[in-house]
Amino acid sequence: MTLRQRIVPYLLLLPALVLLLVFNLLPTIATLVESTFVISLRSGERVFAGFANFERIFNDPIFWKSLQVTVVFSLVVNPLQIALSLGLSMLMNQRLPGIGIFRSIYLLPVAVSLNVTAIVWRLLLDKNTGMVNGILHQLGIERQPFLHSPEQALWSIILIASWIGVPLWSLFILAGLQNIPPPVLEAAKIDGANAWQSFTRVTLPLLRRVLAFVLVADTVANFLLFAPILLTTQGGPQLSTNLILYETYRRGFLYGDLGASAAMLSVMLLFVFVIVGVELYVLRGSD
Amino acid sequence: MNAHVTRLARRNRKPLRAYLLPALVYCLLIIGVLIVVVPLMWAAAASFTPNHKVFEYAYPFSWRALLPVDFTLEAYDNIFARGFGRSISNTFFLAFATVIIGGAANALAGFAFGRFEFRGKNALFMIIVMLTFLVPVDLTAIPRYILINNFGWINTWQGLLVPGLANSLVIFLFRQFFAEIPQELIDAARVDGASWLRVLWSIVLPISKPVLVAAGLLMFISQWNSFFWPLLVAPRQELRVVQVAISLAVEQHRTRWNELLAGSMIAALVPILLVMPFQRYYVQAITGTGLE
Repeated sequence: MTLRQRIVPYLLLLPALVLLLVFNLLPTIATLVESTFVISLRSGERVFAGFANFERIFNDPIFWKSLQVTVVFSLVVNPLQIALSLGLSMLMNQRLPGIGIFRSIYLLPVAVSLNVTAIVWRLLLDKNTGMVNGILHQLGIERQPFLHSPEQALWSIILIASWIGVPLWSLFILAGLQNIPPPVLEAAKIDGANAWQSFTRVTLPLLRRVLAFVLVADTVANFLLFAPILLTTQGGPQLSTNLILYETYRRGFLYGDLGASAAMLSVMLLFVFVIVGVELYVLRGSD
Repeated sequence: MNAHVTRLARRNRKPLRAYLLPALVYCLLIIGVLIVVVPLMWAAAASFTPNHKVFEYAYPFSWRALLPVDFTLEAYDNIFARGFGRSISNTFFLAFATVIIGGAANALAGFAFGRFEFRGKNALFMIIVMLTFLVPVDLTAIPRYILINNFGWINTWQGLLVPGLANSLVIFLFRQFFAEIPQELIDAARVDGASWLRVLWSIVLPISKPVLVAAGLLMFISQWNSFFWPLLVAPRQELRVVQVAISLAVEQHRTRWNELLAGSMIAALVPILLVMPFQRYYVQAITGTGLE
């Protein structure tokens, strides 16, 4: 091969690669670097501060509260969304007349943005005149405060995130279900497996790869939930929905404390590494 | 007689179960559909309702809440009078530019990964995979903002467009598709002395409709729905995109509910209209990237 031949693939890669390096890799490194700088109050200059930003956020009760809210949120929303997605995908996988129409309808939330979802649900969950309270009223249940109460706000956010999340992740699981060759399930039936046995012993193991991907992607997506918070509770009431990405935005953009914001983002990066690593390891371990 | 009844019962038992399961499936599916559709129906109906009547049938709830019984275009007139049309054309422009420029860059990269063997291929591919899955773009938005600021690109089209052009999920899609093209097709053209760009343009492109539609939809819709980045980088009104416009309205026009919903319905309608005719492609585009 001539030299000209050999550089062809690199030339083809060049535009995308340069863009990815400049706008994705560079900011990642910059986040880590920025976390070690502070803006000096006296001179207004950026000065190296070692781990001062980290010390600051680790001594900050608001950061810990935000982390706590994020952990509670993640521990509820991820298993919930994956269980419901698995159920929905099993339903959509049934060979029944009209199933295509159902699949189309469940695609609607996937196409709609999180912002639209948040705006609509904010009004649906209005504590005085929202439709959800309207329906509860018809059922003889008294009004609920939803987004306005520290006890219910996080649950309301979970509802909003799941309205998109469940149909979205069920698409992946449905694709996985459709990849299971029917003879495999028929063989299990002939061997005398009941529906539950063929689900737990045949279907679930064959879905392991898809479920691993969904678990990782869902965890990361929910860890980074932002728009619904900005558009509904802005972290409140009483910081009960102050998820971590919203807290970094508040620090960095609303209060201009870029050092603390970068330190939090670095902690989050570490979290994503660990979460993804652990989940992949655990799921691979069952091979 | 008894034997006859038992036989009948036995014969009937199977059909009954055979009906029961589908009935249960349909019931559950319909409950899900209500959860999906009722919010959208209310939002659509309320966007065509005078503002003071938006909640009229929502609390206490009646079926009228789901239909525009007091039909008016007031909300749509108002948002367009305040410049929502500009946001729509901005977003269309941005999304098309992303599809065309970004599509080209991602397709070339996908072609390199799918069809060539070269030194450093696996390492480069791993870097892209790691970047995609371990460093979500929203996490690095603030340093990216500082970078764009250093370029002097705040409140410019470049600032909105360029950082989102390279999309590793789209590169994966193209790579997967190109890797499956039969080698003979490409060899034939290469023997005839065609350059690689020529091969791409006149041999590969014409047979790539499925991946082009899938990748195009993915890029268009993710740009149409993008929010965090445009919010940070282009707050100026002339560059405002749809998602930012509807979100700022939540702050600024808190109680003009019908207008919030009218903007939201337009923001929702465009991706829905694009996805519905191309469902198969879109589903493949989203799920294909996760199933490798």
